[in-house]
Amino acid sequence: MTGKEGLMRSITEVSFTLDELRLFLDTHPDCEEMLSVFQAKKEERAELVGKYTEKYGDVEGYYPETKNGWSWNTAPMPWKKEADI
Amino acid sequence: MWEYEKRLQYPVKIKRPDAKAAKIIISQYGGPDGELGASLRYLSQRFAMPDDRVAGLLTDIGTEVLFCAL
Repeated sequence: MTGKEGLMRSITEVSFTLDELRLFLDTHPDCEEMLSVFQAKKEERAELVGKYTEKYGDVEGYYPETKNGWSWNTAPMPWKKEADI
Repeated sequence: MWEYEKRLQYPVKIKRPDAKAAKIIISQYGGPDGELGASLRYLSQRFAMPDDRVAGLLTDIGTEVLFCAL
């Protein structure tokens, strides 16, 4: 999947994986296999979010794009039609 | 402490607005047995948990359940 919707879908998928892995590792902290999956997914997510923020709009409040001014609080929320995801 | 992101945990696209269905869905989020109440119970119980590792887990579960309420 490519484009805005595809990129957001990839972010959704990798984030869900990380959400579940976080809970798994809380109870299985010695699982080397899942630790390395977590590390890989973490890097994948950072790259995807960076790409999305640069091309389509802000995702994370600590890292909004500020080159063209401030739009964090005015850009539509993702469930709004105007967000067009 | 939380921060939010401008994205949804699961994509939502409303094609046909349905107020009756919306009323049911919102009570699952904010109603008496909803996600919001559940998340706040996890997050207040974490303070009474003597085992630090489980207290940390409860913080993470409460946070995850809160995602589902927003």
